[in-house]
Amino acid sequence: MGDVAATMKVMPQSPDVDLDALKDQLGESLPEGAEIRGSDTDDVAFGLVALLLSVVVPDDTGGTEAVEEAFAEVDDVESVSVQEVGRL
Amino acid sequence: MSDKPHQNLAIIGHVDHGKSTLVGRLLFETGSVPEHVIEQYREEAEEKGKGGFEFAYVMDNLAEERERGVTIDIAHQEFDTDKYYFTIVDCPGHRDFVKNMITGASQADNAVLVVAADDGVAPQTREHVFLARTLGINELIIGINKMDVVDYSENEYTDVVDEVKQLLKQVRFDTEDASFVPISAFEGDNIAETSDEMSWYSGPTLLEALNDLPEVEPPTDAPLRLPIQDVYTISGIGTVPVGRIETGTMHPGDMVSFQPSDVGGEVKTIEMHHEEVDRAGPGDNVGFNVRGVGKDDIRRGDVCGSADDAPKVAETFQAQVVVMQHPSVITEGYTPVFHAHTAQVACTVESLDQKLDPASGEVAEENPDFIKSGDAAVVTIRPQKPLSIEPSSEIPELGSFAIRDMGQTIAAGKVLSVDER
Repeated sequence: MGDVAATMKVMPQSPDVDLDALKDQLGESLPEGAEIRGSDTDDVAFGLVALLLSVVVPDDTGGTEAVEEAFAEVDDVESVSVQEVGRL
Repeated sequence: MSDKPHQNLAIIGHVDHGKSTLVGRLLFETGSVPEHVIEQYREEAEEKGKGGFEFAYVMDNLAEERERGVTIDIAHQEFDTDKYYFTIVDCPGHRDFVKNMITGASQADNAVLVVAADDGVAPQTREHVFLARTLGINELIIGINKMDVVDYSENEYTDVVDEVKQLLKQVRFDTEDASFVPISAFEGDNIAETSDEMSWYSGPTLLEALNDLPEVEPPTDAPLRLPIQDVYTISGIGTVPVGRIETGTMHPGDMVSFQPSDVGGEVKTIEMHHEEVDRAGPGDNVGFNVRGVGKDDIRRGDVCGSADDAPKVAETFQAQVVVMQHPSVITEGYTPVFHAHTAQVACTVESLDQKLDPASGEVAEENPDFIKSGDAAVVTIRPQKPLSIEPSSEIPELGSFAIRDMGQTIAAGKVLSVDER
């Protein structure tokens, strides 16, 4: 089945959150089999900056739900959404 | 390349019917294979004393390339025709990704359905066609692939075309709008150039059919619909809802309404990429503030719309669904979680109205006792908490949903009508 890459958008709880530290925390929270392959930031509005992460998960593990749940548990995370998914 | 109008193109179809080969072939024929892949091949070919650039090599290396070179844009492969610049949205096979395709940002405008001539309509063909319809794909080009395997037989082609037309009729895709092209992605027949092997076919090649697609119009003229992703309190500004505009436009001074929270006010400032803007439209990610609306007045899952054409809130709604996977059967009273735009709400299946015959598309049974995996049905749904949702015939962007239960996406559907509160 191969792997699937998902672009996940993580919104911090406030404009004051350190995104580098947040990215490290998100990396540590990943469920087994998932991997962060790239990251970027996206200026939103009024000082808010979103973290965009390329997360690779195997196509046969049942989607991005486990990663979304793990990310949502991390302190300083306001919300997690999947922007797009594509096969590798 | 970017001067041309853009289209997101989904490649859909049953596993092993040749989706990846077709993607490789499209990139190859349009000269869109990355330069360094060609360069690398040239060097290897010179070493071994071989000449020419071979398609098989492209296929091998694109796979490897994507695995290695994964970046934030991983999902995207691009090519262009005379008229358009295409981005390929390559859909994952696993059903649980369907939720992302419904709630995510990258929706395909049009699709190529790949059906193998030697296999015909297969389970995933059926599922993908229904999803394409649910996801708001406008035009379908059907590539009847692997024509080389059936010796380029016109009879085999016609049989598969008839089979696909039956399926399209079931999900109410207008078959008049669908174009069928007999192809071999592996051999390159009818992709860029008319094949010598199929003199009986006089229609366009696949690339011509893609070039003939109508231009995609962003839903600018539709009423404003902006599902709220998050709500912040920013010092010096106040309450700032954040989300992506699905339809319509928003300007400072507009009177807006948040549903189902049922509050509203005047838009003061809109920001996009940290810049203040005086207009935002479909696809724009914005943060804004509204006079008189506090942080606790609105929440994720609300939809912001214009005050004079406010988002609908459903008491109940009727929908067409396809059951993708369910361990047993679905009966009246079943209450899974519905994912629609940014909302997640438990909803009860109030009545099973009609079961549809997958072969003919006709109503197979009125008021069935149950539906199960593989069934398509018309059902009436009652949200357990207020939910803003729209008929897909009016605002398709807000008219589809995924149904999840037990950690799986069990069904997907589109709203036929809304009985407002």
